[in-house]
Amino acid sequence: MELEKFKYDNQIVKMFSIATVLWGIVGMLVGVIVAIQMFVPALSFDIPYTSFGRLRPLHTNAVIFAFVGNGIFMGVYYSLQRLVKARMFSDMLGRIHFWGWQLIIVLAALSLLMGYTTGKEYAELEWPIDILITLVWVVFGWNMFGTIIKRRERHLYVAIWFYIATFVTVAMLHITNSMEIPVSLTKSYSWYAGVQDALVQWWYGHNAVAFFLTTPYLGLMYYFIPKAANRPVYSYRLSIIHFWALIFLYIWAGPHHLLYTAVPDWAQSLGVVFSVMLIAPSWGGMINGLLTLRGAWDKVREDVVLKFMVVAVTAYGMATFEGPMLSLKSVSAIAHYTDWIVAHVHVGALGWNGFLTFGILYFLIPKMYRTKLYSQKLANTHFWIGTLGILIYAVPMYWAGFMQSSMWKDFTPEGQLKWQFLDTVTKMIPFYAARSIGGTLYLVGAIIMAFNLYKTAKAGSFLADEDAEAMALTNNYKGHSTDHWHRWIERKPIQLMIVSLVVVIIGGVIEIVPTFLVKSNIPTIASVKPYTPLELEGRDIYIREGCYVCHSQMIRPFRSETARYGEYSKAGEFVYDHPFQWGSKRTGPDLAREGGKYPDSWHYNHMLEPNSMSPGSIMPTYSWLLDDDLDVSTLKAKIKAMQTLGVPYPEGYADIAEIDLNKQAEKIAANLKKDGIETSPKKEIIAMIAYLQRMGTDIKKTSVADTLKK
Amino acid sequence: MNHTVKSKLKWLSCMLALPAITFAQDTEPATSSYFSNPLFDTLVVAILLLMILIVAMSNVLKNLTQSEYFQKKYITKLEDQSSNSTKIIALLAMFSLMGEQLLAQTAVPVKAVVIDDWRIGGLDGFTFYFLITLIVIESIAIFILFNLIKGFIKSDTIAVKTVVDKTTGEIKVVTKKTIIDKLNASVDIEKEGEIMLDHDYDGIKELDNNLPPWWKYGFYLTILIGVIYLINFHILGTGDLQGEEYTKAMAQAKIEIEEFMKTSANNVDETNVKMLEGAEITAGKEIYTANCVACHGKLGEGGVGPNLTDAYWIHSGGIADIFKTIKYGWADKGMKSWKEDLSPKQIAQISSYIKTLAGTNPPNGKTPQGDIYSESDNKILSDSTFLVIDSLTLKKIKKDSLTIIK
Repeated sequence: MELEKFKYDNQIVKMFSIATVLWGIVGMLVGVIVAIQMFVPALSFDIPYTSFGRLRPLHTNAVIFAFVGNGIFMGVYYSLQRLVKARMFSDMLGRIHFWGWQLIIVLAALSLLMGYTTGKEYAELEWPIDILITLVWVVFGWNMFGTIIKRRERHLYVAIWFYIATFVTVAMLHITNSMEIPVSLTKSYSWYAGVQDALVQWWYGHNAVAFFLTTPYLGLMYYFIPKAANRPVYSYRLSIIHFWALIFLYIWAGPHHLLYTAVPDWAQSLGVVFSVMLIAPSWGGMINGLLTLRGAWDKVREDVVLKFMVVAVTAYGMATFEGPMLSLKSVSAIAHYTDWIVAHVHVGALGWNGFLTFGILYFLIPKMYRTKLYSQKLANTHFWIGTLGILIYAVPMYWAGFMQSSMWKDFTPEGQLKWQFLDTVTKMIPFYAARSIGGTLYLVGAIIMAFNLYKTAKAGSFLADEDAEAMALTNNYKGHSTDHWHRWIERKPIQLMIVSLVVVIIGGVIEIVPTFLVKSNIPTIASVKPYTPLELEGRDIYIREGCYVCHSQMIRPFRSETARYGEYSKAGEFVYDHPFQWGSKRTGPDLAREGGKYPDSWHYNHMLEPNSMSPGSIMPTYSWLLDDDLDVSTLKAKIKAMQTLGVPYPEGYADIAEIDLNKQAEKIAANLKKDGIETSPKKEIIAMIAYLQRMGTDIKKTSVADTLKK
Repeated sequence: MNHTVKSKLKWLSCMLALPAITFAQDTEPATSSYFSNPLFDTLVVAILLLMILIVAMSNVLKNLTQSEYFQKKYITKLEDQSSNSTKIIALLAMFSLMGEQLLAQTAVPVKAVVIDDWRIGGLDGFTFYFLITLIVIESIAIFILFNLIKGFIKSDTIAVKTVVDKTTGEIKVVTKKTIIDKLNASVDIEKEGEIMLDHDYDGIKELDNNLPPWWKYGFYLTILIGVIYLINFHILGTGDLQGEEYTKAMAQAKIEIEEFMKTSANNVDETNVKMLEGAEITAGKEIYTANCVACHGKLGEGGVGPNLTDAYWIHSGGIADIFKTIKYGWADKGMKSWKEDLSPKQIAQISSYIKTLAGTNPPNGKTPQGDIYSESDNKILSDSTFLVIDSLTLKKIKKDSLTIIK
């Protein structure tokens, strides 16, 4: 054994940390803008690129993949090198990883603003970007494993188990959920339809939370809390049990996003019970984090880094207890589709991810710049303003969600719904206003931090290559008989990765595969037919404009919903929906049975000026649909793609689809003309109306009016 | 001594569990109906929760009794005083035996109770009181355990807070062991060295503390809940899945509405609706302004929807026809059904208000749609109010025909 000298690469950590701060501020800023748009709809400026339906996915993607994503890489690149006593495997791979990820973010932002979207929440990016993500992710994994392989530390620390699980699981989720058939460079259809698409999407969506927002951050917590507090980790045993239990159980919980929907009952029940079982493993992380601070609480009062971290871990504990509670069917019945969920995710995002990132930044930057933090006072201000921001954000949203849900469910003694949907929306406006104040405070805090860190960097001198030394590993290592059994796998990174992968595959396979193989899970309905070409084009506009962000298409089997929207949604109704558009939030009403509810002219006027048809509505205008011509250049490719996916259009239909499209468009234009609206049948609005009027009509019961005629 | 306490505690928990087991056997034949009773479920869950709490608390007690301090000071004292805890354990056992006694005693009047159909929250009296008794016994046990633990902790906190370092002779202050530490079964910070593993990752060391008992048992509990949940809904089929839940909710709502309607003056429908007057018209106008203007215009002049002031009606213009149109809607024409949003009385009020609009001839009136409706054709409605309107309508028809010619 000889002592080897080497250098840690701080440069790559610095790059990722700058990106984290930058994209964090951008993501939060967009968040504040969309928050204000919810009570000042005019702020969408009546142009497509700044409308809510496009900005909200930009906000979520920016915060998750740009802010937290760069935060993960910053923390991993810093801690991994030190935990394995080796420089990153390749400086070049690190740079490719960094610039590749930033390229993805820029492309993502531009394409989302352009309306290029797959219409699947948190996986909106189109197929070329999906491929790019896969490649960059592989570069990250390659670099990480390369570093681990050439390590000088025999065993892998718990943080690295979490990094490895993150790497394999995110790869699996991203690839499976992004299976789509391209129509053009900017348009694709999900490989799955309806119920299956929903299951795959929420298996992904839920585990994006688990394996992008949780496991890598738990890994970071396991490095940075003991480092900052200078205390030993509380319990090694607990680390082992909560790590394996967490990654195994998390995967199963996806269907809790789909309670009371058309997803089979057994899948929903699995989602419920696995969410409940997840409480302890999630809390294992919190306990290990907080108890590591045992004996260091006096330090917590002084040290701003620890303060941020304690609030982060506490927020994590609250969110991971609330999650399982929300997964109970009776609670989900109240909270789903409301702002309660928005509050819940923001406790996680602002509290856990945000605050842990801030804590790490305040820890790292002074260290790498070999100086003291520019201002402890400003950092403390940031801490308080941020905490206050979270509170002012979350409390009104909880209140709003509960209140709106109660209003939706209210009946008069005569048996009528007590509130029009619109009444429940206008009641939300004060809460939306309060929330935007909370968000603004949080953003201001982040800006103060950026200034503080910039000043710190200015004052210090950056250490790009940090000297380190460690003994080389020998090849003839034998474990001790007294070792914990788990030590074995800690010496075997590849085995650790494979076992993690097996553990995370199980849940997904058991929940998703049967819906493909067992027919009874999705009973077919004979009257459900594929969309006409015009409706299909209209549906693509619906997806492009991000309507799913505010409107659900899933009527749950509750009296309050069937009274408001009509017969509850059936699994067989969605078999041609590539992708499904069930949505997860009802800022506006459910649209699953919108078809035939209002005349064509109502929709025309409503898109031009929502307030004219629904006074007090907070929906922005979509006037460009009235001006822009429908682009049918890809229609042929679209029909063909749908046929490949198994949608039963007759053979050769792609060639004549446009004729049908024109016929239907003429009809709608003529219909509008009857109500005094002159418009060309070529406009996008015509396709939109066609789709809206089709929604949910395939199995609509013969209306009572018809029965009365008889 | 330590072993005796341990075995006693084990025996104690067995005794406490026993009544539950006998009870489960007793009620087995009727399980399916019992499990669908929410009160029963709640009570059983409460019993299980308390049981787990008892096990957890016994465990904490066990840990406490094993602690060095306890062994040095407390146990010897206890032994001298003919063991307080033994007494308590005997007492507890007695309680739990009493539970069984109760079971034996109350087993006789079961039939009588059932015959009388005397029920509490859908449960027969015997089951109800039996479950309550169990809960009471468990609560007493918890109370006693709690006091025992409290006693130990108290005696511990009285412990010396300073120790003399043997090598240097220095006096050191020992950190007090908090309740949180005890709940977590953490090793004292001073003794950390004993459980410090030889791991060192960039200076990070790892301790090997116990899994906090509450965490561990909580985890078991959630797994148990998961299993019971799946059995209840998917193996026994005793829980309602969403389909049945919906059917039941709808049936319940129907009963409630019918009950209410019996006593309500709200019982209006298209067969008996009458033209209303005065304040009712004003009320109708308010509802119209809130719900109808988007499509039919502020003054009923029409827009997306047809003009309501002219004599032309797509679905006929009698009060009953208008009522029907509003109530059920005409889905094919884009008129939505309002019966889930507005009460029959409210629909009658709007219908009446709309009738008063006839012939008001507001500006920007939409071109007539449908057929001319004349009140005299309508047999039901032939009172004088409508004759007045009718003449107005006729005037309007003339005007309309002029506009059309233009």
